[in-house]
Amino acid sequence: MTELASRSLLPAGLQDVLPPDAAHEAEVGVRLLGVFAGHGYERVKPPLVEFEEGLLSGTGAALANQTFRLMDPISQRMMAVRSDVTPQVARIAQSRLARAPRPLRLSYAEDILRVRGSELRPERQFGQVGYELIGAEGPAADAEVILLALEGLAALEIGPLSVDLNAPTLVTSLIASLGLDAETQRQLRRALDHKDAAEVERRAAKKAALFVALLAATGPAERAFDRLAKIELPAIARREAEALHALARLLDAAMPGLLLTIDPVEHRGFEYQTGISFSVFGVGVKAELGRGGRYRIDGAGREAETATGCTLYMDTLIGALGDVAPPRRVFVPHGSPAEAGRGLRAQGFVTLAGLAPVDDVVAEARRLGCGYVFKSGAATPVAS
Amino acid sequence: MSDASAATLRPTIVLALPKGRILKEIGPLLAAAGIVPETAFKDPEARQLRFTTNVAGFEIIRVRSFDVATFVAFGAAELGIAGSDVLMEFDYDEIYAPLDLRVGRCRLVVAEPERLASGDDPSRWSHVRVATKYPSLTRRHFAARGVQAECIKLNGAMELAPTLGLSRHIVDLVSTGQTLIANGLVEVERIAEVTSRLIVNRAAMKTRAAELEFWIERFGNAVDGQAAR
Repeated sequence: MTELASRSLLPAGLQDVLPPDAAHEAEVGVRLLGVFAGHGYERVKPPLVEFEEGLLSGTGAALANQTFRLMDPISQRMMAVRSDVTPQVARIAQSRLARAPRPLRLSYAEDILRVRGSELRPERQFGQVGYELIGAEGPAADAEVILLALEGLAALEIGPLSVDLNAPTLVTSLIASLGLDAETQRQLRRALDHKDAAEVERRAAKKAALFVALLAATGPAERAFDRLAKIELPAIARREAEALHALARLLDAAMPGLLLTIDPVEHRGFEYQTGISFSVFGVGVKAELGRGGRYRIDGAGREAETATGCTLYMDTLIGALGDVAPPRRVFVPHGSPAEAGRGLRAQGFVTLAGLAPVDDVVAEARRLGCGYVFKSGAATPVAS
Repeated sequence: MSDASAATLRPTIVLALPKGRILKEIGPLLAAAGIVPETAFKDPEARQLRFTTNVAGFEIIRVRSFDVATFVAFGAAELGIAGSDVLMEFDYDEIYAPLDLRVGRCRLVVAEPERLASGDDPSRWSHVRVATKYPSLTRRHFAARGVQAECIKLNGAMELAPTLGLSRHIVDLVSTGQTLIANGLVEVERIAEVTSRLIVNRAAMKTRAAELEFWIERFGNAVDGQAAR
């Protein structure tokens, strides 16, 4: 390997984002935060690294093995690099903003770092833009969070969108009622996550019919609810199913025609959710655009709180948006008056000032990737 | 939207099928589900990899069995047919396996030379060396009982490994067991029963539920029809 090559090689899953993509990503973040701010979600900015115990408790525990640790030479305590922003926002809500009125609405846009990428998202560092609605529960809170995600994505002109509603606690309570050993529970969970009906039948033994019926109650909302209504569920699971239906009705009323699917058995990635959860997909986009749901913020001495949040994945959003239209760039030759540049920028041009006189201003404009050159008082297109 | 992302908004459904042995067993299922591939599909010599069918907007690709899972996981194909052995090896989050097609039936086993099997006590193992096509599944299987498996990845002819001293154990698919016997090996443990599954990409299942469920149901009826015969 040459010295240059070895200096430019980055660790797996990390990359330099170059022009114009870096600016585009920042702009997308600002637009999303603007939509969230319009609904009263105020931005917080937690640190990149914090003490391990804080970051990896509560909802953060799910990502413990995806988190980088380092030793703080000053406090001699173990620190962790955030692998998710939600636990940090939860910590802020419980500590410094404990006395702020509820419901508390907070937003963030930060990069996170993970030990390993997944098959669909090999990136180990990527941006998360999201928000949390803290100290509220019920269908109205769930609906606000989901609709806000859709509004944000619509503002980016990503679409058509589709929302998958999940009830991870429904299956948790059903599985617990079976009295299975931990390993069989894990295998049943896995089979349900993969919608593997044959494997579910094998693992759920005497309750197989119930779980297979639940598997059949996934898909487009209306039909799924019809099927769900016909399944005989224990009281606690029935309540979950009804809450799911109430939420679906709210969403449908707010956004008629929204593509809504129901999946009462999906659980993967929702291990720490305590209520309804959801994923947002874009038709034709191969990974989910975002996901969220309800969780509990452990009070650590104070009263526990319920929160609902959503995280949008910046890398998937950017991929779904495709190429950016390049800005109109104009070369302003050396010696042009200062107000010329000001005027052009006011018209929406990006101006590149010549720092020294050149013989051929048109050639220079082309070399610098400018579509225009400032000539005789106006931006003149450069024939390519 | 760019051309690249517009291209992914195709209305077609792509079904990924595995080359080789299983393909013959899948033929009747395809026919029963009402899918007739173009004639080149039947020709094993054909260089073509992508085939149209009698159904408009429904295409078939023919890839290696392990690659079926990869194509579907990444959404390059919406549907696929893959053995449960392949699904266990990759354990892709993005794959749903809603239907057991009840073809390609075999089992995934640990085997070792007959002469070793009698004197061996697996409870004393801390480390085993295994030749296999399934390194990740094998490591997980042994790790679950506290044994570290050092896997030698082979793409075929696993049965040669113990006789030539490459490893003492193999993890491989067995259907009749004839190949094991012919190579002086015995099955010492059964890891899983294997059948082929109809698999679906998760994002496609969420965004194109109605279309894909139509096909899952068609295949489901085809499987029931085959079983009834």
